[in-house]
Amino acid sequence: MEPLINILMSVSVPKWVEWVVLYVGASLVALGALCDLLGALGLLRFPNFFVRMHAATVGTIGGAVVPLIGIGLIALVADELGPYRVAVALTSFITAGVIMIVAPVGVHALAYATRRSEVVKVEPKVIDVLELRLKEREGGGED
Amino acid sequence: MVHVTPFLSVFVPSVTVVFLTAFTLYIIRLIKGPSVPDIVLAIDCLSFDLAVFMALLSIFYGTPYLVFGSILLALWAFLLDIFVAKYLLRRGLSE
Repeated sequence: MEPLINILMSVSVPKWVEWVVLYVGASLVALGALCDLLGALGLLRFPNFFVRMHAATVGTIGGAVVPLIGIGLIALVADELGPYRVAVALTSFITAGVIMIVAPVGVHALAYATRRSEVVKVEPKVIDVLELRLKEREGGGED
Repeated sequence: MVHVTPFLSVFVPSVTVVFLTAFTLYIIRLIKGPSVPDIVLAIDCLSFDLAVFMALLSIFYGTPYLVFGSILLALWAFLLDIFVAKYLLRRGLSE
């Protein structure tokens, strides 16, 4: 039984496929850098915390997950990494997946805590279901 | 396999300029941040982008050792989020 890493290392594909993988990875990294810049601009320019969360999503999912997948693709065909190229690529893909799961969960928890503790005023507000529900619960308690 | 060094020696510095500009903007928000959640949001974005930057440096220098820290950095940012959310909730609900 051969280890999985050796099987992955011994896969050989045509030369042009490797160049295509390299340029696809590089364009993903460039796209991610652009998303990162736009997210940073939004985080700086938007008026309050609840609006800034939109920009933060562009900065984390677009600015971290997409370039990590691109870096993984580049590392997969990089000759310079030698025997470590599959390890670097898999670590990049795993980090991309972890950030994909962890960033929305963390920002949701932060938004809920901010709303409940009323640190920041909810500024452009159309409807606030949490506030209505809390008011309803308090009204029901008094009756 | 492809010799990527000639390509990356042009590509990585030009991407690094964009990343460093984004870092600077995040740090400005981190210093200005009017409330605690803004600061935590900025630290969050900064940590995830630092993870990307470490992976980028890892393929630029051709060494595998830098990339393994990036996953820990991502998990650390999540831990900070949850911790600050718990702190804010406990402080807000006790009043």
